[in-house]
Amino acid sequence: MRPYYLIPAVPALALVLMPVLPFLNSTGLWLGLPRLLVWGAVWVALLTPAMLLTGRLMSRAEAEK
Amino acid sequence: MSTVLVIAFVGIVFIGVLGFLGRRRPAANLTEWTVGGRQVGAVTMWFLQAGEIFTTFTFLGMAGLAFSGGVAAVYALPYVPIAYAVLFFIAKRLWSLGRERGYLTQGDYLEDRFGSRTLGTLSGTLSAVLGVVFVLPYLQLQITGLGLIVKLVTGNAASSTISMVVGFVLVVAFVLWAGLRGVAVTSYFKDAIMLVVLVVLIVAIPVHFSGGIPAMFQRIQQLHPAALTLHAGPNDQVWFFSSMVVSAIGVALMTLPHQWAPLLSARDPQVLRKNYTWMPLYGVCIAFPMIVGFAAILVLSKNTSANGVLLTLTQQVLPPWAVGLIVVAAIATAMVPAAGIMIGISSLVARNIVRTRSDRGQFWVNHGTVVVACALALVLVARSYARTHSPTCCFSHIAEQCSSLPRTCWACCANAWSARCRSWRA
Repeated sequence: MRPYYLIPAVPALALVLMPVLPFLNSTGLWLGLPRLLVWGAVWVALLTPAMLLTGRLMSRAEAEK
Repeated sequence: MSTVLVIAFVGIVFIGVLGFLGRRRPAANLTEWTVGGRQVGAVTMWFLQAGEIFTTFTFLGMAGLAFSGGVAAVYALPYVPIAYAVLFFIAKRLWSLGRERGYLTQGDYLEDRFGSRTLGTLSGTLSAVLGVVFVLPYLQLQITGLGLIVKLVTGNAASSTISMVVGFVLVVAFVLWAGLRGVAVTSYFKDAIMLVVLVVLIVAIPVHFSGGIPAMFQRIQQLHPAALTLHAGPNDQVWFFSSMVVSAIGVALMTLPHQWAPLLSARDPQVLRKNYTWMPLYGVCIAFPMIVGFAAILVLSKNTSANGVLLTLTQQVLPPWAVGLIVVAAIATAMVPAAGIMIGISSLVARNIVRTRSDRGQFWVNHGTVVVACALALVLVARSYARTHSPTCCFSHIAEQCSSLPRTCWACCANAWSARCRSWRA
């Protein structure tokens, strides 16, 4: 398996682990919002650049073939 | 008749008319009707796929869950985007197989991928039966949601019943007339009005009650700190994790019958990949109704019905005409996904359960199923009313899990077995 297939797995893992990360499960706020909400929204948004990068690397690999 | 009710009925009829306008020409066969002749472009695909994210469950249920469970509602934010990260890799293959082999449904795929004809037919039929049985309550949920929305803003049970019947007769009519293309046109309207409404609500409601979003969360931090953490109770960490992962598996493995028609309708597989890439950014908007739900923690009593908090706060903040527009957006989130669900159910029955020989027979079975499925869902709603004397609208995760969990298990088993029978690259 090519390593670039794993790029979207990084934000996906950050999201799946969300409920067990102790620093997120706190009453504190980030940017005036609940930490879990900020963490979730940021990593969901980061899935897009992750898939863009993977898509670009896949296209390059296909072109080289 | 109140202003809100007039606007709500105009909205219901308008959505129905948009659905009728979706038809370009009479559908000659089930492929044209179910998957738009596999010629759907990028923009339309975007809205068809977005329809899977924003339903009544998202619009009213997310606000309700944030109100009753606090940050536990955040579980719903990542599961669809995580599934998109999986579909980013497998959708192209599914689309290619669908085009080559003529799939229209999940049952078609399972039937074809088994090496054994007997096992293939069995798995196709079984998946179709499970699909219909477990998705019918989801259709019922959309109808109940529409009735609840009207009842909440008018307080009138008769208006609620009439709106459910009128709304869903129109949905059946435009689905029969225009098929997937009708769903697509109504999806444009649904997403446009819903985004505008959500932006207005997350600005207006926190500003009105707390002076802004950061000030609102600071008050929650002082008065209701438990709402900002996952803690022991019905929505603890195990619940959060399992709800998120099971739902993500369900969407990623294409276990919902109504996921198949949008995927197979694409003109080009690159369109699918591009949409799955950008859709997570759009999915972040699910946080908007959650923020409205948090505002309700400070304003409404604990006994308030969770499903109605978004509309209750809206009525307190906005003038009647604006409430009417928000009701139309909420109604659209019930009618449009319901149309997609009907296409998913009817094509499964026509292709994988009844199995008529002629194309024309298949077409008629399909169209008959749309009518029967909607009638059955309305009967289920009526029975639920009779039992409780009020709409039992359960938008919580349980409704979605009930419909997806057995199917997830089935799909996992079926896919694993299928993979053994025939390799991916065969």
